[in-house]
Amino acid sequence: MAAGPYNYSYIFKYIIIGDMGVGKSCLLHQFTEKKFMADCPHTIGVEFGTRIIEVSGQKIKLQIWDTAGQERFRAVTRSYYRGAAGALMVYDITRRSTYNHLSSWLTDARNLTNPNTVIFLIGNKSDLEAQRDVTYEEAKQFADENECSAKTGDNVEDAFLDTAKKIYQNIQDGSLDLNAAESGVQHKPATPRNPLNTDQTPSKEGCAC
Amino acid sequence: MSAVNSASTKDGKQPGFWKKGSNVPGSDDRMKVQQKKDMAKGIKKDSFHDFEHKTSDAWDDGDDDLLVMANIQMSLKDVRTTAKAVLDNHSHMTAIPSATSSHGAGPGVGIRLNSGWKPPKTTPIRLTKEPVPDREAAKLEKFKSVLAGPNTDLDELRKLSWSGIPKAVRPTAWKILSGYLPASVDRREPTLQRKRNEYFGFIEQYYETRHEDMHQETFRQILKDIPRMTSLAHLFQQKVVQEIFERILFIWAIRHPASGYVQGINDLVTPFFVVFLSEYIDNAPLNDHIQEQHVEYLQFAFRWMNNLLMREIPLRCTIRLWDTYQSELNGFADFHLYLCAAFLVRFSKDIQREKDFQGILMLLQNLPTHHWQNDEIGELLAEAFKLKYMFADAPNHLSKKK
Repeated sequence: MAAGPYNYSYIFKYIIIGDMGVGKSCLLHQFTEKKFMADCPHTIGVEFGTRIIEVSGQKIKLQIWDTAGQERFRAVTRSYYRGAAGALMVYDITRRSTYNHLSSWLTDARNLTNPNTVIFLIGNKSDLEAQRDVTYEEAKQFADENECSAKTGDNVEDAFLDTAKKIYQNIQDGSLDLNAAESGVQHKPATPRNPLNTDQTPSKEGCAC
Repeated sequence: MSAVNSASTKDGKQPGFWKKGSNVPGSDDRMKVQQKKDMAKGIKKDSFHDFEHKTSDAWDDGDDDLLVMANIQMSLKDVRTTAKAVLDNHSHMTAIPSATSSHGAGPGVGIRLNSGWKPPKTTPIRLTKEPVPDREAAKLEKFKSVLAGPNTDLDELRKLSWSGIPKAVRPTAWKILSGYLPASVDRREPTLQRKRNEYFGFIEQYYETRHEDMHQETFRQILKDIPRMTSLAHLFQQKVVQEIFERILFIWAIRHPASGYVQGINDLVTPFFVVFLSEYIDNAPLNDHIQEQHVEYLQFAFRWMNNLLMREIPLRCTIRLWDTYQSELNGFADFHLYLCAAFLVRFSKDIQREKDFQGILMLLQNLPTHHWQNDEIGELLAEAFKLKYMFADAPNHLSKKK
């Protein structure tokens, strides 16, 4: 199969939210470029990144909006929640305040996305174990989460992939209506042939990590 | 068009180029009259037949299929794309044809279709050198300051223009040089408004009479000639463009009865049309493309505004930019907007080459400006100045449409 612009079956829209300095842009950069970006300038408004992943044998293009964490940019970033299939909510395990603010981020995410949007909690900077301020167990009580490090790349893939798997699962079991406005998912035929036959045995849980 | 004017006023009074023509040179009346005269005299039959033979294609009914073709409606997008292609094409012409091969077809010269005759290859007597960037930028700056006013020094403008006008300021310069707009900056907008109203008045007054007995011959000739203007063939297949030319030519002919419509005048409109159109054409296909791919301006332009383009250009360029911003009235608040527009247009081709949403956004987030120096900023500033001037006193363009 030639690598063409439609060499994927779906587009999933993601948004990354969380306090400033938790490492949202570094996570995105690590995920799209597989590199750690030291001295990452703070995000103004939003930035955009993209990568194609594979879930259950399906190629999925992720369109990811990385948002500015500063409160002053909220008016702009809020407009990006709408139409997101996945929301990665990030805090910094070495700064409790970023964890404490999660409820406010979650409120925004719940209010501004659609009911099927998969919200995924990420505790970043897991490489800084010595400075840990929030335990894994505590965060686990708040929600299922993934701790990762944008610096080492540890678990970063999983955070993006697990979210995609959940969204894909929602599509398969019919709980996510692709035709609904703002579903955050677009279906694209991967090849000219057989464009609609996508519900073929999703049993093989492919893991691309 | 002063050459045409002066020739036409002498029509019928003095021996000259037009003396053998009827009142409406170039119409088929003239041909018929000539034919009758020749028949009556019984002379020069051969040469007339030769002439008729050579030119018969011009009167052939077969040309009507051009008219049919011309009536095909095309989308506004096609119009813009074509117009842009034409303008680009013209702007890339660097060869100056030899003066001796004046019969060659070149930009803006209409040649007859359906003739097997091919124009001989013109020999370039010289090629314009690649413009030296800083010299070009300096030239733009000069034009800028002359055009800015409060009163444009016409002598200075003529002096500058003699050796060529930068594309960005050409529409404005031409309007002033041709006397269409006044030297006073303050009076330009009201004058433009008045002239436009005047023209729309002419349309009401004269254009409606085009099918009346007295004028229909003229109008029919104009209708025949416009699709033949091969210099802009694609453009002239657009109905909206044809109608613009029909109105211009017809109204001009009616208001200049001494000459009337002379074939060739249609060609003379073209440079004005292309130059003035260029003021409006650059943005439209770009904007269409951006909207078709569902890219919103907020997605990239927020940072342009918030950081005054500092994330998009090297610091040395920002510093140069601020020289101007601090010299402009409300430079940071108002002029920056025009500069951002110019900045976007600067990458118009690159953006249009990107065929999907992520391609466009990735490009806009990582515009290739690392190598930029003062020259690039100079060009941007000139373009921004042009936009500022173009939209001066038209605050509605700043409000959101719909």
